[in-house]
Amino acid sequence: MPFLSHGSYRIRYELDGPAGAPAYVLVNGLTQYAELWIAYRDALVARRFRVATFDLLGQGESDKPALFISQDDQVAALHLLIQELGSGPVFLSGISFGGLIALRYAIAHGERLAGLVPMSCFAELPPQLFLLGNALRAGLILGGTSYLQDLLLPMNVSDQWLAPVLDKLDSVKRQGWLVNDVYALQNLMESFLDFQPLTSQLPSIGVPTMILNGEFDFLTPRALHETLRVQIPDSTLVIVPRAYHAFTLEKPALTADLLARFADDVLAGRWQGKKAVWIAPEEAGGELMPFPAGYDHLRAIPVQGTTA
Amino acid sequence: MSAFFGPMDAEGRVPARQQTRVASFLVSAHGALGRRFALALPPRLESAWQAELNAQFYNESEIVSLLLRSTSWTPDLALAYLAATWETAWFPSPAEGIPDPTLALAVDLATLAHAVHAGIRPAALLPLEANANDPFAMALRRVEFESGRLLQAQIMFLKGESLMPFRDAVSTTLERRHAEVRKLWREMLESIGISRSENDAKP
Repeated sequence: MPFLSHGSYRIRYELDGPAGAPAYVLVNGLTQYAELWIAYRDALVARRFRVATFDLLGQGESDKPALFISQDDQVAALHLLIQELGSGPVFLSGISFGGLIALRYAIAHGERLAGLVPMSCFAELPPQLFLLGNALRAGLILGGTSYLQDLLLPMNVSDQWLAPVLDKLDSVKRQGWLVNDVYALQNLMESFLDFQPLTSQLPSIGVPTMILNGEFDFLTPRALHETLRVQIPDSTLVIVPRAYHAFTLEKPALTADLLARFADDVLAGRWQGKKAVWIAPEEAGGELMPFPAGYDHLRAIPVQGTTA
Repeated sequence: MSAFFGPMDAEGRVPARQQTRVASFLVSAHGALGRRFALALPPRLESAWQAELNAQFYNESEIVSLLLRSTSWTPDLALAYLAATWETAWFPSPAEGIPDPTLALAVDLATLAHAVHAGIRPAALLPLEANANDPFAMALRRVEFESGRLLQAQIMFLKGESLMPFRDAVSTTLERRHAEVRKLWREMLESIGISRSENDAKP
């Protein structure tokens, strides 16, 4: 199990796939760990990508700073990992908290990236997300990691995913509970206490960017992704049908396919962002379709659009 | 070596030798915290934060009491040496870099409590097949759960404004305490055939 060193801290990472191939770097969400990307690793390696996964500081097998974890340190750790990949094309993707770290990286080191895929992501903390974050933090403090998982699961995945595992939720949650410590998760959550919106810096992201947003994501709803779409010049917003916040867990085949197709398009010079809005297919390999002209993609009912 | 207790007996209970050594470590650590909280507790509370001190004292006492009653104890000759090593490690050691000696001692106590409450996860040693109704398993779950809540007082104090000028000293002291407690915990677990993650193996 290889480790990178950031100051006195160690960051556990894994590289798979052919050296020298275009690379995908995948950044975990808050309560996640690197093994949750195994399906992506397998799918992307099969399509001739190199795949880098890792545990953020405070997660899994990486070191867990006892009192403070700054988001700048996470970006620095990510930078170390990307330096390990050599000089070939690098595509960076992250979900939720990991998407935010990916955005920060793209703002700071965009020249190193060939493409960016923020998923279930946000650049600012409007009141709903701020209060939800505070409530989740209180849940963690009062009820521990298990209770935080209890809060997140029904918010972040669908009934279709939950129904078959409803009578074995403890085993579903167990690995996340084992590898995550309350204090480390709390430190990660408290790295938002001095959060400053990234919105004004988004236009500096010059790389092709595919923004993925679950149709039914109510933790980070469409409006938050719309901010990314409007502010990042070479971006496209792709709405993943019937998906919730944690669609990377629920729809790995589809999402890995979207990642691979995005990278293939960028590498082949076919990519055109144009701040367009698309709808992803229901299954891997299906066609993306443009969001119907004239309708407002920010609404849940078919209202005539007013946004560009 | 396994990452969990075991092999479990036919009724899903942790072997008595493992129970004895783990419970002894926890009684030593939480007992030391309880004693130090008791010494810091005035007969009459004069500040709001002292109410939390009172709660910490009684919660540590509850943890010790719970472990004493729920563990299947078995004779363990090595405990005499081990307990002496553990007890020595809990001795007060004022945080360096903080000129006020009272504050330096308070930081030391808070960092020790943080290291014990945050870094020791006894319930994570229970394998899937552990009997959920076994009192020892239940006690470990309760110790870990209560530790997560007790920890909040240490986090609030150590991250608080009063210690902002000493942030580096606090972080250094806390990382040192975590490393000490983690090392003792890891060594104790290895002595009963349990090996935790690479992360715990960090010196």
